[in-house]
Amino acid sequence: MPHSLVRAILLGVLSVTAALVLAACGSSGDDGGSAATVDSGKDGRRGGTLTLLTSQDVANLDPGITYSSLDLNMLAATQRTLYKYAPDDPSNIQPDLAAGPPQVSPDGRTLTVRIRRAVRFGPPVNREVTARDVKYAIERGFNPNVANPYAPQYYGTVVGADRASGGPIAGIETPDDHTLVFRLTRPTASLLAEATILPLSAPVPQEYARPLDARSPSDYGNHVVSSGPYMLEADRDGRVLGTGYVPGRSLRLVRNPNWEASTDERPAYLDAIEWRIGGRPGVSGRQVLDGEGMILGDTPPPALVKRAYQDARDQIVFSPGAGNRYVTLNTAIPPFDDENVRKAVAAALDREQMRRIRGGEVVGDVASHFLYPGVLGFEEAGGQEGTGVDFLAEPRGDMELAREYMRRAGYADGRYDGDETVQVVGLAGAPDDANAQIVDQTLQELGFDTNLRIVDASVYYSRFCALPRARVHVCPNVGWIRDFADPQTVLNLPFNGAYIFPENSPNISQLDDPAINRAMARGELTVGTDERASAWAEIDRMVIATAAAVPWLWDKQPNLSAEDVRCVPQLWNQGHCDFSYTSIE
Amino acid sequence: MSDAEAVLRVEDLRVAFDTRDGLLQAVDGVSFAVARGRTLGIVGESGSGKTVAATTAMGLVRGARVRTSGRVLLDGEDLLGASPERLRALRGATIAMVFQDPLSALHPLLRVGAQIEEAVRAHRDVGRAAARARTLELLEHVAIPDARRRRDAYPHELSGGMRQRAMIAMALANEPRVLIADEPTTALDVTVQAQILALLRRLRDELGMAMVLITHDLGVVAETADEVAVMYAGRIVEQAPAAELFAAPQHPYTWGLLRSTPRLEAAVGADLVAIPGRPPSLLQPPSGCRFHPRCPYVRERHREVDPALEPLAAGPDHRVACLLPEAERQALWARLAAGATPEQARAAAAGGSEEAAR
Amino acid sequence: MAAYILRRVLWGLVLLVLVSALTFVVFYVLPSADPAQLRAGRSASPETLAQIRESLGLNESLPSQFWTFLTSLMLHADLGYSYFSGASVGSLLIDRLPATLALTLGALVLWLLVAVPVGVLAAVRRGTWVDKLTTGGAVLGISMPVYWLGLVALYLFSDDIGLIPLLPGAGAYVPLTEDPGAWFAALVLPWLVLASTFTAVYARLLRGNMIEVLSEDYVRTARAKGLSERRVVLRHGLRAAATPLVTLAGLDVGLLLGGAVLVETVFNIPGIGSLSYDAIVNADYPVIQGTVLLAACFVIVANIVVDILYAYLDPRVREA
Repeated sequence: MPHSLVRAILLGVLSVTAALVLAACGSSGDDGGSAATVDSGKDGRRGGTLTLLTSQDVANLDPGITYSSLDLNMLAATQRTLYKYAPDDPSNIQPDLAAGPPQVSPDGRTLTVRIRRAVRFGPPVNREVTARDVKYAIERGFNPNVANPYAPQYYGTVVGADRASGGPIAGIETPDDHTLVFRLTRPTASLLAEATILPLSAPVPQEYARPLDARSPSDYGNHVVSSGPYMLEADRDGRVLGTGYVPGRSLRLVRNPNWEASTDERPAYLDAIEWRIGGRPGVSGRQVLDGEGMILGDTPPPALVKRAYQDARDQIVFSPGAGNRYVTLNTAIPPFDDENVRKAVAAALDREQMRRIRGGEVVGDVASHFLYPGVLGFEEAGGQEGTGVDFLAEPRGDMELAREYMRRAGYADGRYDGDETVQVVGLAGAPDDANAQIVDQTLQELGFDTNLRIVDASVYYSRFCALPRARVHVCPNVGWIRDFADPQTVLNLPFNGAYIFPENSPNISQLDDPAINRAMARGELTVGTDERASAWAEIDRMVIATAAAVPWLWDKQPNLSAEDVRCVPQLWNQGHCDFSYTSIE
Repeated sequence: MSDAEAVLRVEDLRVAFDTRDGLLQAVDGVSFAVARGRTLGIVGESGSGKTVAATTAMGLVRGARVRTSGRVLLDGEDLLGASPERLRALRGATIAMVFQDPLSALHPLLRVGAQIEEAVRAHRDVGRAAARARTLELLEHVAIPDARRRRDAYPHELSGGMRQRAMIAMALANEPRVLIADEPTTALDVTVQAQILALLRRLRDELGMAMVLITHDLGVVAETADEVAVMYAGRIVEQAPAAELFAAPQHPYTWGLLRSTPRLEAAVGADLVAIPGRPPSLLQPPSGCRFHPRCPYVRERHREVDPALEPLAAGPDHRVACLLPEAERQALWARLAAGATPEQARAAAAGGSEEAAR
Repeated sequence: MAAYILRRVLWGLVLLVLVSALTFVVFYVLPSADPAQLRAGRSASPETLAQIRESLGLNESLPSQFWTFLTSLMLHADLGYSYFSGASVGSLLIDRLPATLALTLGALVLWLLVAVPVGVLAAVRRGTWVDKLTTGGAVLGISMPVYWLGLVALYLFSDDIGLIPLLPGAGAYVPLTEDPGAWFAALVLPWLVLASTFTAVYARLLRGNMIEVLSEDYVRTARAKGLSERRVVLRHGLRAAATPLVTLAGLDVGLLLGGAVLVETVFNIPGIGSLSYDAIVNADYPVIQGTVLLAACFVIVANIVVDILYAYLDPRVREA
């Protein structure tokens, strides 16, 4: 059972569904994942305890560290970030701790956020949240003991952040208790405003957290203080470990006594959330479908998806916009340093079949570019139709065209006859391994000698795909999940030449195209929603045109809940039932 | 010996095992009797059926694959037909047995004393303390020095002789009327053998037991047995009072045994000669006389005619199953006893008979 | 004997150091997951990754990391902290041990209670239907994968998702101190599943031993003494036939205490096995090291116990 800690990895690991071809059931024309079926969570019944079953443990309780999908769900109920997404709107940020919309200066170099009054920390801190708590929360993200993974990326333009190591950052100012001003070296204020939906902007009380942050690594997670409607059960001193959190076993969220409903849009119907860790998804999924007051946090196995889809349609939600999947082709080494060879692979791949073995239509749309539904710029990049390149025109693959591209690459009979043996590394576990096999077979049809290796999720990136010196040619099971709706979060790291690192390299194709790099540098600094949408849509087209990676699926994530649970799925977060909106009937 | 005297009487005992390869006739019509205070020696090579006959008599050979017939009468009561419960009550109480290898016959994980105690308490309703006391008495009776300490020893901690004494003590726990000793000295040193035999004789006389002494060694029975039965291939081929048998053995197989026995003072000299060949398969016993494949004096007729165990004209107590004429047997034995090889004896006997004919 | 045990214990300690060194080497030399990368995620820059390595102490040289581990273990009985949850490894092990103990010992009792009578009966009634049923059952029991059997048990008999709701299913475990009744009920299915394979193995083994022992001379002696068949079989036969079983049981229990991984994961029992499983998946090296050491401890102790027990059961061994 592959696990992962990290949101981005998660996608690669999501074993959505398998060979049971659900497309057949989907032929009724009803799209199980359409936004129309999504509940906004109005008028729920108050009270009750919701039980969340997952196979994997929470990755980290610290809002400054956490970056995994399940944890984000927990944090969305216990921490108030400056801005957030409403569960039914994954595209437009809304004020949470902020008192109103972000104020971006005309030059885009200053972001001013007003903080709500009367938001109070949970026990044992029990005081009002101020702008300084947000300032500290972000500063500690640069503390090596916290080492927030995305702080340099999104907060890196804050004045003084480049030298920050946990101490005060000059560019974060708090003129008064309820005003926060970010001064930036470059015009990235609107991107920063959106990035505050990530948990790093949740307030952290400095006087309480500083001694914990002095430990290496920081121990704040095990003493985490709430600012949202719920809190982890804790002892008198605020220690969560052993109380509200027993590693590998359970977490327990209870109401935060200091939470004021008047300061928050969250209805917070539930009295408590019990998170039980460790069950196998096949068993837990059945328990959820047959039980009461339960939801499943894991991807249900195909048999259960099928069963729920056929017999309990209101107990399964297919959440669209759950990420993209693509095959990377290593542009740094032969034979895929040749653009035409890459295009031949793209043309040859039967993306329809890639989707079919995962379960067909219900698990997502066949992808034709990287920006996926729900991400800004999706429509501008060509929407469902794609960017118009011929090698991705036919979802079932076009072998004729593929041969033509091979000929253009100098292989006269349309088949590879070079010396390279193509190293293909696939992800273990159904249906990912089957996807890898299809890619492997496609390569062989084009004449390549291949060496397919299937490896476990925990080493897929670190020892193979994201490690350039491993010299892997093809990774069929790569994917990326946006951090928020801005298209930069989907395209920048995976395809920017600046992000080719000797290890943990997010740019797996090692695409280093000067034109694209320049366009991205400009795109980062582009101000305005429409402008950003078109700028990054153009980048999407440019990347597609290089065929450095072949997109094949825009995921819809299935989520199961018990019959009596009125699940309100977080469309911005894999469709997990939002604890603060979900209710039990 | 009259019927009335016999404590144990075996009549026409037949034991066969139903094996995968067919019926194995281990004991084929064996009869004998032992009286109080007397000893019957049963002699034969291994595989001759002597141990099977004895253990069957004890009721230890039972099972789905065993076919038995005949009678084993203990004080007139047939043991072959006895219920398991009745057998259990008699075993170890009225009829007891001493086995060949005391190391394997004693439970390796239990103390010697405990094993004897168990034998006592199996048949007597006595407490633990009384059984322990009786055990000590028994160990002393079989002349185990430092019996109190030996009682708490494990079998592997005792010498071979001590172990066999303990075995005997166990068999005697309830003063049985019949003691079957199956090769009691085979596993022991020569010096110890004599001691154990002396012990058995002493106990037999003291307790007035009827004893069946099973051995492959004629030397063992010479001093101890009153009567000897020689078994070959599941049958008794010669049976006689001990002195008679040693003085005038009648069966070529007995001769062979005698010639292969070291302590016999008969004038065989230093020539110890094993009987050539091997005991026959009991799955398919030879036709005619079962000894014919190994018999140096075999005649054509012997391959077809099966000899019966019949008394000698000279003495009805001496019976033999041999087709050779009695006179010829005497001539042969005379030569063999004088040190001749079977070939020499046969040649001489042939000449002798020619001379006589002339 | 005392000197012998002392020698064994000391040798056990040396073995533990070797085992932990081996675990260390295996973890770092084989292409296992990188805890820093798992924690950092794919977006992290090399600088962030370096910071995380530093905060977890992964930037130091391997010998120095191992030395730190050894000294804190030896001097402070400190196994370190989970990379993942930050909880101390010692507290995690203590948290998980009761469930594993309950699972293992309960299953042991169960499998011995079933396997011994069945094995004896099959040996005594050799060739009859009892024997054939036992042999057939044993083959079945041995060949059924525990994980699969656990799932079948859940789908058939668990009170939440089973066809015939009988017993609490996966995730029902509660600590004994919390609710003894629920604790017991939740362990019944796991006990049955865990015991099934062992029952099969033990019954088969005992049957074989028993058949061999019953043909031994000393069993004939016991019969010749006039002991009841029951006493012959149970006291003389079983006593000898069961001795190898005791050795096996000791070692099996030692291994299982190190974690009955499959049963614990299927039934979601928070034991050592599921802890080590998660630790491996998460590249949580300190926890892996802790569970490996604990398992090694149990195996070493089990070996010593088995030796002592064997000497107690078989006097012939004592002198050797």
